[in-house]
Amino acid sequence: MEEHGECRLHPGLKKMVEQASRALALLDADRLEELALSCQALSRGLAAGAHADVASQAREAVGDMAVFARVLEVTRANLNVMRRLQDLRDGRLEYGVPQTKDWTRTENTHGDN
Amino acid sequence: MGTINSAFILISGALDADQAALNIVANNVANANTVGYTEETPNSQENQPIEIGGVSYGTGVTETGATSVRDRVLTERLDQQQQLASASGSRLAALNTVQALFTPDSGSSSSTAGDIGSDITAFFSSFSALEANPTNDALRQKVLSTATTLAGDVSNAAASLNSQSAALDQEATGVTSQVNSLTGDIAQLNQQIQSTSPNADAGTLEDQRQQDLSQLSQLIGINQITTENNGLSIATTSGQLLVSEGSSFQLTTGSVSGVTHFYVGTTDITQQLTSGGGELGGYLTARDKDIPSVLSSLDQLAYSVSTNVNALNNAGTDMDGVTGTVANPLYIFNQPASGAVAGSASNMSVVMKDPNQIAAAALGQGTGDNTNAVAMANLANQSLIAPSATTTFSMTQNLDSAGGTATGNVTVYDALGKSYNATVTYTNTAPNTWNYSISMPDVISANTSVAGQVSYSFGAGETVNPGTNLTITGLAGGLPSTITAPAVTAGESLGAVGTAGTYADDLNNKLIGAGIAGVTVSTAGGVLTIQGGTGIAGNVIADPVASLNAAGTLQFNPVNGSLTSPAANVSGITFADLSDGASALNLDWSLFAADGSGNISQSAAPSSQSAQSQDGIAGGKGNQTPSDFFSSLVSTLGSTVSQVQTENTAENASVTQLQTQNSALSSVNLNNEASSMQVLERSYQAASQVFTMLNTIIASALNLGVETAVS
Repeated sequence: MEEHGECRLHPGLKKMVEQASRALALLDADRLEELALSCQALSRGLAAGAHADVASQAREAVGDMAVFARVLEVTRANLNVMRRLQDLRDGRLEYGVPQTKDWTRTENTHGDN
Repeated sequence: MGTINSAFILISGALDADQAALNIVANNVANANTVGYTEETPNSQENQPIEIGGVSYGTGVTETGATSVRDRVLTERLDQQQQLASASGSRLAALNTVQALFTPDSGSSSSTAGDIGSDITAFFSSFSALEANPTNDALRQKVLSTATTLAGDVSNAAASLNSQSAALDQEATGVTSQVNSLTGDIAQLNQQIQSTSPNADAGTLEDQRQQDLSQLSQLIGINQITTENNGLSIATTSGQLLVSEGSSFQLTTGSVSGVTHFYVGTTDITQQLTSGGGELGGYLTARDKDIPSVLSSLDQLAYSVSTNVNALNNAGTDMDGVTGTVANPLYIFNQPASGAVAGSASNMSVVMKDPNQIAAAALGQGTGDNTNAVAMANLANQSLIAPSATTTFSMTQNLDSAGGTATGNVTVYDALGKSYNATVTYTNTAPNTWNYSISMPDVISANTSVAGQVSYSFGAGETVNPGTNLTITGLAGGLPSTITAPAVTAGESLGAVGTAGTYADDLNNKLIGAGIAGVTVSTAGGVLTIQGGTGIAGNVIADPVASLNAAGTLQFNPVNGSLTSPAANVSGITFADLSDGASALNLDWSLFAADGSGNISQSAAPSSQSAQSQDGIAGGKGNQTPSDFFSSLVSTLGSTVSQVQTENTAENASVTQLQTQNSALSSVNLNNEASSMQVLERSYQAASQVFTMLNTIIASALNLGVETAVS
């Protein structure tokens, strides 16, 4: 929690990018949405002329951005796989045997196992 | 179905079905913590209704077994990502060890490979110190002690790299038995699954098979092929079968020149495994690519320093007035055999015992002379490292396709370090017949772009020729607008107009001979300038550009894809008469099967994957001082580590994400599964927003170098 608060107060670019990669790897959507808000705040701060050291922060963050870009790339690929999988299971794709979401599974939603 | 008996049958059937379902649920609970266990769900089937007097009566349900909640598409994707993550993980571990070797240990009093950079400086500085007092014994001792430190650190680094390579070799060999054990297990499971569950999910047997596949994916790169009756075949990523339903094929090892190679049957698949993925791929990439690359650079450094320092010392005069001879050379370092760069780092040592043998004086000078010491100190700033850079490009085409064209570019370097961009084009003229052409613009870019003037820079000692054609437009009076520049002659210098035999004078005479007046040629500080006369408006002198070309036809065997014509290897195309005066540029060129299975031009390719690719290798990329070369070695290594680290982080993230999705799929609650997918979607969208904003902020900040307003 301390980390989140610290980020909101002073979202160092490098740290922000690191956190974004980590959050995306863990699919921490809440954290990512919070980071998106932080980015907007940072953007507004820059527009107001704050953070004179942003250029050096940007240089420090370049390597981490490369990591973030790769994680984003693999996430997109994974998402595509999952979307296709969902289509396949819902019988929306032409090939493959449609797998019905059999009624027996809904019977197992009591949390008893 | 009006009888009590019928009702009892119906009720007891339903109870049986419920009991079976409860058993399955109980089994799920019992295996909640079993690694690799996949949740099962009971399947119920409606019994055939019976019809009495036109009325249909239901007969209840029957339990027909259980289905595991799995999806092979997802698990295969997970396995593939695991292969990549394992490969980059094992490679990264090896690279980190190599990098640690070249990291200076500030806390250590002893010198290590990390100190090679400062060793080089200290060694050449010791000659600078000797310049002031060339007969001083302590300063002479200092030269030998710094030389010993440098040689020791270089040879120790080479020894460490060789040890690391041997350790990786061992690791890679160890993987083989694990792979064989797993493929054997999978083959057995295939048999069991095919006999017990040919048309349905095999439950725990399938769990075991998936578990084995997951482990196998961590070890090597594999492709899974589903076969009839729930069978499974497994091949390496290059297509070599490891499991074919109930049979497995052992991965064996053999030593080739002291290095372990890997085989399936008699086929050597080491190269394919290297690029295939898994731990084994990572180990082999580090063993066969990363470490040899560093070792090769270290060899170059050791060879260049040893041979250059030895040559100078041997040509000077030592404290006893002696000059080196063939029989009794005055060598400081162990002298590598001519051209024998490989192994130079391992063998680097100081062979000189007597500091008086340091030849500070030039040949024929008294022992108080320091000329040779000055020359040796100056070696620190000279480009000693012979060019060796390699650039490659590749293209892939179906050999038997009709009308295909492929174009690739490669940057090549001549002996003076000038770069050229060669373009290679392949055009299919008939099945298995390809024309090739290689063109290379021979350009020296002008320093200036002022209309009416071009100038070119030439380094000290370079011979010159600004190009085949010099184009001048806008001339009045019908004068020729193009002249052929004078041909360069061996050893010709830039010189000056008015000095016979120099390039500038030859060029000036050529202009006069063509009747072109008002265009002047001048040289200053190694810069050749050609300028239009002020009295001729609109003169433009264009950069001289020429193209070098080579062309031919390649004919491939339609059956096995091997190169049938030309019969000999087509490598070694040579371009001569280069504009910067380098004698020639060799573009080594070979054809390879696209799957990496062999060199098409050298041996029969395994046929109809039918593809070709080419490697262009030429010359060297500039010369470097010893210190610069070592810095470049360390920097390149760091860059590789960083790149692999990035890949590994991303691949591990991908594995984590997929495992989350896989868990959701196997969860008992469909809502959880849908929710997991939503989280994935939400995460991706939010991350995309974050990335876009951060990218804009960072790009703007870097471009402007100041704080940036971003809307």
